[in-house]
Amino acid sequence: MLIFRYSARELLRHPARSLLAVLGVAVACAMLLDMLMLGGGLNASFRSLLTSAGYELRVSPAGTLPFDTGATIADADGVRSRLEAEPAVDAVAPVLGSNLLIEGDAPDRLFVLGVDPAEQGIYRLTSGRDPHDGGVVIGRELSDAGLSIGDSISLRAPGSFAEAGRRTGRFRVTGVAEFLYASSGERSAAVALPTLARLTDQPDRASLMMVRLTEGQNPDSVAAALRLRHPELEIASVGQLVETAARRLSYFRQLAAILGTVSLVVTTLLIGTIMAISINDRYGTIAALRAIGISKRSIVAAFLVESLLLCLLAAGVGLGLGLVVAEQLERILSDFPGLPSAIRFFVFEPDRLAWAAAGVLLAGVGAALVPAIRAMNAPIAATLHREEP
Amino acid sequence: MDTVYGNRKSVSNPRESLIVYVLRQQRVPHLKRCTSRRCGWSGREASVLSRAVVVACLAVTALPQVADGQAAAEESYPDRSTCPEPLELLVERRLAESQDLESGSRLSVAALPDSEGCPAIVAGVYEPEADPSELARDRRRVFLHLPDLADLAGREDEVDRFSVLLKDPGEADAVAARIGALMPGTRALGGTEVAARASTTFEVVRRFHRAIGLITITAGGVFLACIMTLKVQERRSQVAALRLVGISNRTLLSWLMLEAALVSAIGGLLGIGIGRLASSTINAWYQRVYATTLEFSIVTRETVAIGLVLAVVLGLVAGGVGAVRLLQVDALEEVGR
Repeated sequence: MLIFRYSARELLRHPARSLLAVLGVAVACAMLLDMLMLGGGLNASFRSLLTSAGYELRVSPAGTLPFDTGATIADADGVRSRLEAEPAVDAVAPVLGSNLLIEGDAPDRLFVLGVDPAEQGIYRLTSGRDPHDGGVVIGRELSDAGLSIGDSISLRAPGSFAEAGRRTGRFRVTGVAEFLYASSGERSAAVALPTLARLTDQPDRASLMMVRLTEGQNPDSVAAALRLRHPELEIASVGQLVETAARRLSYFRQLAAILGTVSLVVTTLLIGTIMAISINDRYGTIAALRAIGISKRSIVAAFLVESLLLCLLAAGVGLGLGLVVAEQLERILSDFPGLPSAIRFFVFEPDRLAWAAAGVLLAGVGAALVPAIRAMNAPIAATLHREEP
Repeated sequence: MDTVYGNRKSVSNPRESLIVYVLRQQRVPHLKRCTSRRCGWSGREASVLSRAVVVACLAVTALPQVADGQAAAEESYPDRSTCPEPLELLVERRLAESQDLESGSRLSVAALPDSEGCPAIVAGVYEPEADPSELARDRRRVFLHLPDLADLAGREDEVDRFSVLLKDPGEADAVAARIGALMPGTRALGGTEVAARASTTFEVVRRFHRAIGLITITAGGVFLACIMTLKVQERRSQVAALRLVGISNRTLLSWLMLEAALVSAIGGLLGIGIGRLASSTINAWYQRVYATTLEFSIVTRETVAIGLVLAVVLGLVAGGVGAVRLLQVDALEEVGR
C-alpha cells in the first residue's frame, strides 16, 4: 500500500507530464484494440454470416466461388438428387441468381434469387409468406421504396427486345424479408426457382446449392469426399470459404498486424522514456532510500507500480476511445462494395478487450523495468555525493 | 445485361485482333478495362454504337479446363464440329507462368465446366495493365476473338457492354443520358461515373487510411509533445543558472525552441527515412505476393512535406509551452533544489 501511495504521489507531482503520458498511451491502446478487433473481426463475421442459415457446405460450378461469376450448375435437379442421396447430407437448397429489370417508367435493376421456398437459406422473412409461383419476396430496400405485400410488379430479364414478352413476368409481393447476403444498398428479391429459370431461359440451372449436413458430420471431410465424387462441382465448407474470403481481404489483417505492433512499440517507447526521465530525476532519492535500508526490490516495485498506474489509467481511457473509433471506422468500411452488409470489420469480443489491455500493461511495465533496474545498480555513495545540493 | 462484346473489325496487330469477351461478368458491370489502345481502336472517327468494343474476363470456370487440357491432343475432342476454328488465345502472363504455357501451347477451352472443350492454341502471352481493382480477385484472363467466344458460349450476337468513343469527350454524360433514353433496359454511363464506380473500393480504402492517419498523427503528436516537454524539463537547473547570470528569458526561450525544432526536424527526417524504407519493403513484398508491377506505397513530396512540417510545428509548440512554463519558475528556488 505504501508503494502504491508513493507511486501515485509521484505521478501527481508532475500532472502535465502524467496527463500527456496517459493521453499518448490511451491513443496507442485505442489503436491496438481497434486493430485486434479488425484482425479477427472479418473472419468471425464471415463465419457467423455463412453459418447463420444453418447450411455447412456451398456448391458452385467447378473453379468458381458462389456468385463470383455468372457460371451456373447444369442439370441442377439431378445434382440436387445426387447430393441428397449422400448419407452425410440432410438437405440441399438450390439458388439461381440473375439481374432483372423492374418494369416501369424508369426500369431499374434488381438482383433476383430463385429459391425453393421449402428449403432456402438466402433470406429471413420479416413479414408475409414465401414466394410460391407468381409471388415475390422483396428486400427492405424495395419495401422502403414503397412496395408492400399485395402489390404487383413486372420483372423482365435482360435480352432481345423482340423476346421481351417471353422474358417478362408479373409478380405479386407475398412477403418482405431480410436478405442475408445482400450488400449495402443492393435491391434484392426472391421468386420460385422454376419461375426465374423460365424467365431467364436457364432451365434446370442453379448458381449455387447450399447443403445442410446431418448431425455430427465434419464439414471439411464431407466437402473433400464430395469433391472426389463430383469433380464438376466446387464444394466448399464454410471454413474453407472463410479462408478464401480472409485471403481476399488479407490487406486488412496485415494492416491490423502492422498498426497493432506500432501501437505496442509507441506504448513501450513512451512509457520507457517517461520512466527513464522520471527515474533520472530521482537518482538522489533512490540512493537515499537505499541508504536507509529500503530494499532494491521495493524500489523497483514502486517504479513498476507507477508505470502500471499510468498504463491502467491510459487503458481505461484508451479502451473506451477504441470502441468509439471502431464504430467510426466501421461506418467508413461499411461502404466497401460487394460485401454483404451484415459483414462487420470490427467485431467486439471481450477477449480482444482483455488482450489490448494486457498488451498495453505488459508493454508499459516492461518498458519501466530497464530504467528501474539501471537506477538500482547505481552506486549509493557516489550518487548521494553527486546529487547533494 | 449479361454479355459479350467486342470489336469485330480485323486489325493487323495480332494482339489487338484478339479481343475478348466473356461470360456473364457478374452483377456489377465494369467498363474500366477497355481502353482504345487495348481494343485496337483508332480514335478519330467516332460514331456512337458502331465502334463498340469491350473487354471482360473469362469465367473462372474455364481455368481448370485450360489446365487439364493442356497436354491433350486434338483427337481428344471427338466432336469438334461446333468449335470455332482456329481458336486462338492470348493468355495473361501470370496464368501462362502458373500453367507453364507459351506461344504455340495447345489446350482446351470450355465456356462452362460441364460443356465440352474446344481445342485452342496460345497465340501469345500478354502482361495486363496493373489494375488494383483486380488484385484480390486472383482471376486470370485470356483473350479470344469476339466471334469465337460467342460461338463457344452459345451467345451469338450478344454483348455485355459497349465502350463508346465520342468525338467530344466532354459530352460523355449528355450522350449517356440520350442513349439511356433511346434504349430502355440498358444502362449508359459516362466516363466520370464509370471511373467513380470503378474506384469505389479505393475511395473507401482511402477514407479508411485517412482516418487511421488521423489517429496516428494524434498519437504521434501526443508522443512528441510528451517527449519535448520532458526534454525541456531536463534543462531546468541549467536554465535557472543561466537566468541567474543574466541571460534574458527571450534568449533562453529562443534557445529552447530552437533546440525543440532541431530535435523535431532530425526526428522527422529520421521518420521519413524509415517511412521510405518501409514503403520500399511494402512494395517489394506485395509486388511479389501479387506478381504485379503496381506500386502499393508511394512516398510523395507532399507526404514528406506534411510529415516534416507536422513534426517541426508540433515540436515547436510542445517545446514552446514547456519552455514558457520553465521560465515562469523562480530561478533561485530551482537552483536551490
